Amino acid sequence: MIVVVGLSHRTAPIAVREKLVLEAADLPDFLRALVQRPEVGEALLVSTCNRVELVAAGRSGFDSDLGQVAQACVAALAAHSPGIAPHLYSHVGGAAVRHLFRVAASLDSMVLGEPQILGQVKEAYEVARKAGTVGSVLHRTLPRAIRAAKRVRTDTAIGSGQVSVPSVAVDLAREIFGDLSGHSALLVGSGEMAEAVARLLKVGGAAVVVVGRTLSRAEELANAVGGSARPWSALQQSLVEADVVVTSTSAPHFVVDYEMVSAVRRARRGKNQFFIDLAVPRDVEPRIETLDGEFLYNIDDLSKVVSDSLSTRTREAASAEAIIGREAEGYDRWADAEQATPTIVQLRTRLSSALEEELGRSLRGRLKHLPETDRAAILKMLESSVNRLLHQPTIRLRQAALERSPDGLSLEQLSAAISELFSFDAEAEAASAPENALPEADVDADNSGLSLAPEARVVASRS
Amino acid sequence: MDDVATIAFYLGVITYSVAATLFFLELARKDGDAARAQWAPRLLALGGALHAVHVLTASLLSHVCPIDSMHFALSFSALIAVGAYLALRERLRLSALGAFIAPIALTFLVGAQFVGQSSEAAVGVSRTLLMFHIAANVLGIGLFLIAGAAGSVYLLQERRLRTKKRVASLGSRLPPLDSLDTTSHRLLLAGFPLLTFGVVTGAVFSHQLSNLSGAESLRSLLGYATWILLAAVLVLRKTAGFSGRKAAYGTIAGVLCMLLVLLMYVVRSGSNL
Repeated sequence: MIVVVGLSHRTAPIAVREKLVLEAADLPDFLRALVQRPEVGEALLVSTCNRVELVAAGRSGFDSDLGQVAQACVAALAAHSPGIAPHLYSHVGGAAVRHLFRVAASLDSMVLGEPQILGQVKEAYEVARKAGTVGSVLHRTLPRAIRAAKRVRTDTAIGSGQVSVPSVAVDLAREIFGDLSGHSALLVGSGEMAEAVARLLKVGGAAVVVVGRTLSRAEELANAVGGSARPWSALQQSLVEADVVVTSTSAPHFVVDYEMVSAVRRARRGKNQFFIDLAVPRDVEPRIETLDGEFLYNIDDLSKVVSDSLSTRTREAASAEAIIGREAEGYDRWADAEQATPTIVQLRTRLSSALEEELGRSLRGRLKHLPETDRAAILKMLESSVNRLLHQPTIRLRQAALERSPDGLSLEQLSAAISELFSFDAEAEAASAPENALPEADVDADNSGLSLAPEARVVASRS
Repeated sequence: MDDVATIAFYLGVITYSVAATLFFLELARKDGDAARAQWAPRLLALGGALHAVHVLTASLLSHVCPIDSMHFALSFSALIAVGAYLALRERLRLSALGAFIAPIALTFLVGAQFVGQSSEAAVGVSRTLLMFHIAANVLGIGLFLIAGAAGSVYLLQERRLRTKKRVASLGSRLPPLDSLDTTSHRLLLAGFPLLTFGVVTGAVFSHQLSNLSGAESLRSLLGYATWILLAAVLVLRKTAGFSGRKAAYGTIAGVLCMLLVLLMYVVRSGSNL
């Protein structure tokens, strides 16, 4: 199992979040230093503008003491950025898995359903993988988190619609004109939101023209958005050329009125035109909407679309939570079953070693005349025998791990009995690290040339 | 082969029906479903393939060239509409038009069953000219069906953007207005010479047939009305910047006249059964 330790927009204001900044270049070293701690075996760090979270696992895989892992992570983050400790939260075990899945699915994001977080989680996984700080637990957990997030995005409308006024405005322009390249946009006046819309239109391929009462200000804005500037006197002509018109002046009256647009419409020979009026008081006379081919959205209209999108996302969040719940349950079951793995591996190793030892002895003695093909056949027979012998115990151990029934024997009881019967205590340390638990084959040391392949054992142990 | 034609017909009807339902559900649902959006055009393509198998096997069975009979011509024009839609939908983002094309294809596949299967060459009419007349009309009808569908979707999309309803939920599932307008215009341009040829040859046939019935006269008049309406749309587009909503209304009116002509063929054949 895993722990998640960190802070986010839910627990820390920006003044605190900005203290915990880890440069991309420093991240691999930070993660490597973290896994040098005796409690932590694996770690990765998800870092966005709204959250910094360490996802970590212990050195003993699924049997690690997660409390100690969490404490070590808290200590590492607090040491890196003093003063953040009171804002750190930690999730342990199933709660951590659920939290990670929710984060990847954008259910814990400031903007519900925003798509960037999944990419950021993938990137965090990749960085840690390259740094060599991902082991068997995170290698199995992160792909499940990513899969759960993808399911949420495909099976629900959690990411539907746009949730910012500039994005909605540009999407609407696309619904009228399709591809914006080859189209022209006119920005009348200035303002932060108008500038954001102009930038998005420019990114979409539109040519942007800025008209302002003060030419120098218009030029400044045009430079900022990658467009060209014109004086106020060129407004009428610029309207004729513009497919998208963004207005954001502080004028107390309409800057673009019905008569003006009627004349423009004739000059444009009926081509569609889209007005985005971001000003309060409004810049564009609402009556222009009655003209064929003229579309007008003011700030209220755009805000309503944003609000509808957010409502849809909020409504879909319930379905998304259900998906995350099912995925987290699946993970829990898998993780429970994984707890039986050390015992199964120990059992298999013990049986295989004994058989290999006996086989090696025979092959050096009474059976030394056997040709290679016969030796290989005997080895295969022994492998099959081990698999058959361990099939039922393997299933029973995994069932015990999954069911946790109070009526039957628990995994701990079964493991203890097996450990007692086979005297595993002496090998406890090796057994707690499954990937290192498989010893060198004794038979190889005897130069018999035969061994039960470890890969085959591991695969069979999960059958 | 009779069995093949029958099976292809029923499977075509089922596939078109499912495709039409999926297209409608995709539009009616508040939030898009990517899987459904992919399946609808695939099923429409499958329906088109079955439709083609039905037309070919049935025409072979009845020893009638598909473009030598109104029965197959009707069916064939819907096939052309389906093919043109599938070819254009990705490039022009016209996926939503499937909600019109699939039911039209279904109606034509079923409706053609009510039109007599034999060659309709009347006495005194050049059989070669009749074949060209039908072929031109088949192609023209196929193109105009999509133009009419594009005009209809234009009006829906325009109304939605004007009334500002379902803007967030329907998102980009409806094609852009400019794409719809351009598609409609181009298809009218492509189909109009064919329609003109059909109307001229139809006028020649009317002249050759001495005693036209009242229904046949009305059909001819509707044919002329179709030509005049669509010609007016094209001329006004060129000369008076007639585009968008007005052009959509004009196109739909012309296509409706054309459909009335086809309906008269069905009614006439039905009364002869």
